[in-house]
Amino acid sequence: MTALARPWTRRPAAGAIEGQEAVLIGVIALLWTALGLSVDTFFTASNLQNILATVAPVTIVGVGMTAVIVTAGIDVSVGSTMAVVMVIVAQQLRDGGLAFAPAVGLALLVGGVLGLINGALVGYGRVHPIIITFGTLNLYRFVALQIFGGREVAGVPGTLGPLGGGAEGRTFGLPHSWLLAVALAALMWAYMRHVPTGRHLYAIGGDAEAARLAGVRVTRRLLTVYAVTGLLAGLAACCMIGGGGLVAQSAGTGMELQVIAAVVIGGTSIQGGRGTVLGTVLGALLVGTVTSAVTLLSWPNELTSLFIGVFILVAVGSDLLRERRRRSL
Amino acid sequence: MRLTRTVTVGVAFALAAGLGLAGCSKKENASGSGGSGDGKIKVAFVPKLQGIPYFEAMNTGGRQAAADLGVEWIYKGPTTADPGAQTEVVKSLIQQRVDVLVVAPNDPDSMAPILKDAQSRGIKVMTSDTDAPNSVRELFVNQATAEGIGQTVTDALLEKMGGKGEYAIVSCGQTAGNLNSWIAVQRKYTAEKYPDAKIVDVVYAGEDEAKATSMAKDLMNAHPKLTGLVGECTTSAPGVAKAVRETGKIGKVFTVGVGTPASMKPYLMDGSSSTSVLWDVEQLGYLTVWAGTQLKKGTPLQATNKVSDKLPAVKYFPDQKMLLLGDPLRITKDNVGNYNY
Repeated sequence: MTALARPWTRRPAAGAIEGQEAVLIGVIALLWTALGLSVDTFFTASNLQNILATVAPVTIVGVGMTAVIVTAGIDVSVGSTMAVVMVIVAQQLRDGGLAFAPAVGLALLVGGVLGLINGALVGYGRVHPIIITFGTLNLYRFVALQIFGGREVAGVPGTLGPLGGGAEGRTFGLPHSWLLAVALAALMWAYMRHVPTGRHLYAIGGDAEAARLAGVRVTRRLLTVYAVTGLLAGLAACCMIGGGGLVAQSAGTGMELQVIAAVVIGGTSIQGGRGTVLGTVLGALLVGTVTSAVTLLSWPNELTSLFIGVFILVAVGSDLLRERRRRSL
Repeated sequence: MRLTRTVTVGVAFALAAGLGLAGCSKKENASGSGGSGDGKIKVAFVPKLQGIPYFEAMNTGGRQAAADLGVEWIYKGPTTADPGAQTEVVKSLIQQRVDVLVVAPNDPDSMAPILKDAQSRGIKVMTSDTDAPNSVRELFVNQATAEGIGQTVTDALLEKMGGKGEYAIVSCGQTAGNLNSWIAVQRKYTAEKYPDAKIVDVVYAGEDEAKATSMAKDLMNAHPKLTGLVGECTTSAPGVAKAVRETGKIGKVFTVGVGTPASMKPYLMDGSSSTSVLWDVEQLGYLTVWAGTQLKKGTPLQATNKVSDKLPAVKYFPDQKMLLLGDPLRITKDNVGNYNY
């Protein structure tokens, strides 16, 4: 029992900021310095606010996704989950005149239920999560399209504006959505680092069978992480609706890839067992900065894909190198 | 454990096979009932994507025309904007032996051989909304020329910008042929007619409204002297307007876009968008059915055709085998209420 427990109980002894995170902080600092020098408007409030408000939804979902990937799972259905939440909430805001708090509550409820379905299928189904969530990605998208019913939701009122990218979405110049993302990340960071059931996520990712034999309630933990990810996708959907306007059928498309990119660039091992939410926050910030920088510098758009691709390969490569070094010890 | 997995996979395959068979038998039924039609001309239209407002508006117009002209209208498209999925729909319609097959191809080149197959089975083939120029299609119903859209967008924006200044374009798919042809016209026309105006950047946001908003803000940050933004498609048009609204630059930065009336209405009303340039999509659907009916009846098209009261003079260009809906529509806060899509 103690021997089995050791590989993960040992980890809290490591420093609060680990290798990949230190590297990321360095890269982001360098990038911001370079951008500050080459674009005179980079360090203006409006620019930094735009970057932070844009990365907020990715970060919020990334908080849940980090926990999922640490259990050696993955959830590729988050974009479709967001689409379902966005269309339901947008229609209720416009046609039902829903107020702020009930709208957020509805979003959390719908997102949470969809996440719970993923969790139940992964926890009890014993099929690889990528297959399950790839299935629900398509299913949820179908559900969303059915609810759209052939019409996009135009003229959504600005009820959720306090979570959006406009002036009402900021306090002391900082976007609420990003502050929320950071607060959620801090909670998840503390949970995964200091709470026993949070540590269990690493154990499941290391070896689910061994974790089960050691007394970890694997199914319950999996149910929870997928449900939480769905819940957070619902919250991110509220930020995307924000100041209102148009919710089109393409809502949330490709979100899963942005989120997984942020998590992987943040140093979380796609094989499970390793990774932190802090890395994900930094990963999302790096991706957001690069996307914005390409436009700020008037470079051709497609370079964004090149840079993000390189970041992912470097991040995964260095993870594999670390893994090999650890094994050879 | 291993056994359960095998069972699961087996069940999944069985289900998939079952669904596939069900799909087939449904198709058989459809073609069976299709054969015993009541002699009405059957005009089928395959949009790029079913369920989006643009094509639903075409469907509304098509249905109206079918009722007026006494033909049968079939509207059936893929649920994803994927050339493969669209090909399947077209093939199933060929099986149903429709009289006229109209396609708005997602991928014109891969659609060409299928249209040829349809023609060899005696079906009249047409394109509408988007052309397949290297195909056997006998007619293309064009909503507007690239010149018409590009010049109208440029004029509408530069009227607001006072004929001078810097502006940028937020486009959508980087490979979208029609958007790129409009942008090419905008570049050329701006250089010729407005020498004091300059396009400082063209960016691509995909079909993603939130990304268009974020990129429009980036553009305003990168170019502090920017006074104009163009949203080139129906998701980026409201996207750029939202960016102007959220940054409080209404009246300082003007936007013009190619957007649907319903999605642009709030922005047209508060001034974050000045004009939306589009065409009457319902009339495009109407004209498509009318043209298909003429084609099947073998009635030759005139240089100018009276289609209906709303389409009194539709021009035909025999060298390109093209019908042109007319001049683009300028939607502003004054007339946006007349359209419900």
